[in-house]
Amino acid sequence: MSNIPFIIIAITVILYIIISIRRDKLSVAASFGWIIFCLLMFFFAIFPTSLDNLAFSLGISYPPTLFLTICIVVLFVSNFRDDKTIDELKKKVDDLSQEVSILKGEKNDKK
Amino acid sequence: MKLRVLVIIPAHNEAESIEGVLRDILHELKSVDILVVNDCSTDETVEKIQKFDKNIKILNNPFNLGYALSIQTGIKYAARHDYDFVIQMDADGQHLALEAKKLLDACVEKKADIVIGSRFKKNTGYKSPFFRRFGTKLFEGMIRIFTGKTIKDPLTGFQCLNRRTIDYYAIPGNYPEYPDAGLLIEMLMKKYKIVEVPVKMKQREAGVSMHAGFIQPIKYMITQLYTCVIIFIKFIGRTK
Repeated sequence: MSNIPFIIIAITVILYIIISIRRDKLSVAASFGWIIFCLLMFFFAIFPTSLDNLAFSLGISYPPTLFLTICIVVLFVSNFRDDKTIDELKKKVDDLSQEVSILKGEKNDKK
Repeated sequence: MKLRVLVIIPAHNEAESIEGVLRDILHELKSVDILVVNDCSTDETVEKIQKFDKNIKILNNPFNLGYALSIQTGIKYAARHDYDFVIQMDADGQHLALEAKKLLDACVEKKADIVIGSRFKKNTGYKSPFFRRFGTKLFEGMIRIFTGKTIKDPLTGFQCLNRRTIDYYAIPGNYPEYPDAGLLIEMLMKKYKIVEVPVKMKQREAGVSMHAGFIQPIKYMITQLYTCVIIFIKFIGRTK
């Protein structure tokens, strides 16, 4: 019973991702990692002993710690990737705006 | 063969000083083209330039890009229009056209890739605020540690670039937010020839410095220190 919140969270997030994809708000590629993460959460919520076994086999005596660690790592990696993407996009926006300035200037020169 | 030289002036709300700067350039540097990169000025900078001389080229950034990207816009323009040399000058009246001539001559005669107009190579009587003096010494030391070369004035924007440097800086991402010590370390590690020429500079005539206040200089120092170390790690053992 204690796993029901996790099952609800996993299903809600999966539904939210699917709705976002259907409305073209999220690309299929970007959704992949999140779907896998939610499916894993769903799996561990339904079969809690699998998380316990995995934790014990890794030498972790308190299994929820493993779950929280996985969550932190996933969020950390996701945040890092987002920062990289923002950086690349900023570079492209800067490049495009410089191009706009130059082209506008050249257009004015020709007048 | 006649050399094609472009003077790049990034300008953001420099209506008070721009006319004087342009007059000085036209008086001292006869056969150069002038390009002002207007970084979304909200005062009469553009109107004053147009009224002063219609032949001066103006590029208007679609939104505020900041000092470095405005210079890079000009450098891209220079690369596109096959200029042999670029002289970077500030619009606040600190950089003198007569001294710019020295930079250009040094760039041609010494076959340098970058010539820096230095306030501290010789005692020129230039007085700078405490943070700038401290920063200059600190980054001079960092450049020496990382490259073995001495650059007495690594924080100045008064520079002359040859075609090789223009082409390199014109590549997206190759001209950082603060094109100072970190960039000099990168260029020295890439074996670009950097020469320093002592020049006289005036104090800012009008407007507010981009490093004004208390927080900005500290942010600048921390960013530059980090940049210097990372650039060194990035380019160590690389020559291309």
